[in-house]
Amino acid sequence: MKLKAAAAILALAFAAVPARAQVNVCIWGTITGPDALVNGMSYGLRDYLQFLNQTQGGIAGSKVNSLLLDGRYKLDEELKIYRRCVDEENAVFISGWSTGSVKALRDQINNDAVPFMTQSFASEVLDPKKYPYIFMAGPTYEQQMAIAFRDLAARGGKKVVIMSPDNEYGRGPVNVVRQSGIIKQLGLDLVDTVEFRFDAQDLTAQMLRVKSRNPDMVYIQASTPQAIAILRDAAKVGLSAKLFIGNLYTISPTIPEQLGESAEGFRAIQAYAPYGTDIPAMKQIDQFATKATVEKKDIYYMKGWMEGIAIAAAIENAIKTSGGHPSPDIKQFRQVVREQMEAQTNLDDGGITPPLNFVNHQGSVQARIAEINAGKYVPTGEWIDAK
Amino acid sequence: MNTRHLVIVVGVAVLLGLLSLVFGRYGAYLVNAVAIAGIGALSLNLLIGYCGQISFAQGALLGVGAYTAGNLSNAGLGGLTAILGAGVLGAIISALIGIPALRLRGLYFAIATLAAQAILEYLFKILDPITNGVSGLVIKPTSFLGFPMTSDASLVLPSLIILVVVWIAVSRLLRIDLGRAFLVVRESEIVAKGMGIDVAHTKMWAFLISGFIAGMAGALAGFANRLASPEAFTLDLSADYIAMIIIGGLGTWPGPLIGAAFVVLLPEVIQRAGEAAGISDILSALRELVFGSLIILFLIFEPRGLTALLSRLKPRAIGAVPPDSLQATGDGRQPQQRGSR
Repeated sequence: MKLKAAAAILALAFAAVPARAQVNVCIWGTITGPDALVNGMSYGLRDYLQFLNQTQGGIAGSKVNSLLLDGRYKLDEELKIYRRCVDEENAVFISGWSTGSVKALRDQINNDAVPFMTQSFASEVLDPKKYPYIFMAGPTYEQQMAIAFRDLAARGGKKVVIMSPDNEYGRGPVNVVRQSGIIKQLGLDLVDTVEFRFDAQDLTAQMLRVKSRNPDMVYIQASTPQAIAILRDAAKVGLSAKLFIGNLYTISPTIPEQLGESAEGFRAIQAYAPYGTDIPAMKQIDQFATKATVEKKDIYYMKGWMEGIAIAAAIENAIKTSGGHPSPDIKQFRQVVREQMEAQTNLDDGGITPPLNFVNHQGSVQARIAEINAGKYVPTGEWIDAK
Repeated sequence: MNTRHLVIVVGVAVLLGLLSLVFGRYGAYLVNAVAIAGIGALSLNLLIGYCGQISFAQGALLGVGAYTAGNLSNAGLGGLTAILGAGVLGAIISALIGIPALRLRGLYFAIATLAAQAILEYLFKILDPITNGVSGLVIKPTSFLGFPMTSDASLVLPSLIILVVVWIAVSRLLRIDLGRAFLVVRESEIVAKGMGIDVAHTKMWAFLISGFIAGMAGALAGFANRLASPEAFTLDLSADYIAMIIIGGLGTWPGPLIGAAFVVLLPEVIQRAGEAAGISDILSALRELVFGSLIILFLIFEPRGLTALLSRLKPRAIGAVPPDSLQATGDGRQPQQRGSR
């Protein structure tokens, strides 16, 4: 009898405590797969949300559930995960990976009305009017290319070669840039575009072709694994790394670590502060690292941390405007989160980028060029407006 | 296929349909994925399991179906027409792939299909006017027999209808002369010739029928993803289909669907198990390892796959037509062992 009474009291006690509100954020990256070397942003975003749980009890009093899934850079897997995030996890915000999947999903994202942070920088998914739920955290691939080309023109260079994998990530932005006419406008000459398989291991033949064109600059629209193969085989045929410049997915300590001297002088577009920089955000990360493991200590982790700051700020503002707790109507709450995300201006992300502004859905369009010098990426100038 | 098998086939379809209702859009997507993979696996099982023609071009054939259906649908044709059109073009391309089979056998022919896969993948990327290149072809939603195919749930019905029809048709095929000829060709082309079977003709029919089914599966995949992209129809997909029929049971009637369900759902099971145990990051990396290990284990210990494992539990329920027997009954009875007559 006593046992029953105790159980009843306990049950009443638990019933009296209101259930703590939760918000779900769903992240898919390429935990495994050909782009796994640059997946730090998936971990960075997840960790920032966990950091908020650790230090502030979540966002505006609501615990954040952050689910990290592996899309494996496979379209069908990513489409499946998206549906899980929207319908099963009831995510208020989704962070998704590949260019191909985001392009495939852009209409569904509109129909589902779910705020979406894309890790792709393809300009074809960035249109606040056409795709009001898709946000990006940096300059588009095309804007990154423009920065590199302007730099070449300023230095008096003429001949450009573009290298890219033969998939959507590679060929899509290259086509957009070619059709835009910016290369000619800058007085440059695109002497060749060299494509290769995304998972190619040997690019010696392609590098011989590049060498035969005698370019002043070779732009790499690819990621770290491909950049490693390119620079390695460029050295093999006698091409200096100084000729090459890559997009923002070619900044990784792995490149100088693996290539050593062969990577010296390689340049890449840098849109975020590197891991370990003396900035307020890094102090947060160090604080987080005392209680948890930081899986990836690189610039992409910083990108993810910055995305976490922006997403959390939007959710926090949405909770405030919804009366201090997340609206139980997930569709309505997603709508408010989207509006709050778009309303963010001059958001301080702890120094990872210049202040963020999501009115244009891009966060920041500032970037600079960094060069490998003595095994480390060193900025060669100030932040440039990619527009 | 006997009445009991028919009941099982329809029962499985009804069960899948109910699951899609219970588990919402995500469940519907998974049911679609299993049904589409099942149709594609039935197609490959017909070619490899019944006719003995090893093909690594299944992924590309599905791609042909997806692009064809996408173009037809975008041109304003209905879903059924688009699916049938995809089947027809799939059959034609499959027959073209099969031409080398008239002169090549075994491993040599398999290499030829590998080349066909590579060529088709390349064509998907460069035939911009009909494939939209690497960007992929966005497929507008259409309707199937008057029902709009605008959501995952609305695709379940056409997928299951086609699965059931194909499943029954393939099973019935084994009861007619052509189906029996497939089995004889699989066992020995010399014996087939000796029996008066036109081997080239028989092989070509296998490619045509298999290609037609694969084209329809590709069409459904295109409608499900609303995109036909070269990245979706690579050699990896062909390998997945071969894994499905090996794991399910090569040359068995329920094997393709069992294998399809296994291959489609295994990553999901591993993912959920990892999440429950808090080790999803680690298990993610192990998924491919588990997958590969299972194929090796099946090849070593039970080449007839899950179907044979299930048949040990309930022998009369499974109608296997294993490669070591010519007695294709097609009625679910276990074939007689060699030398038993």
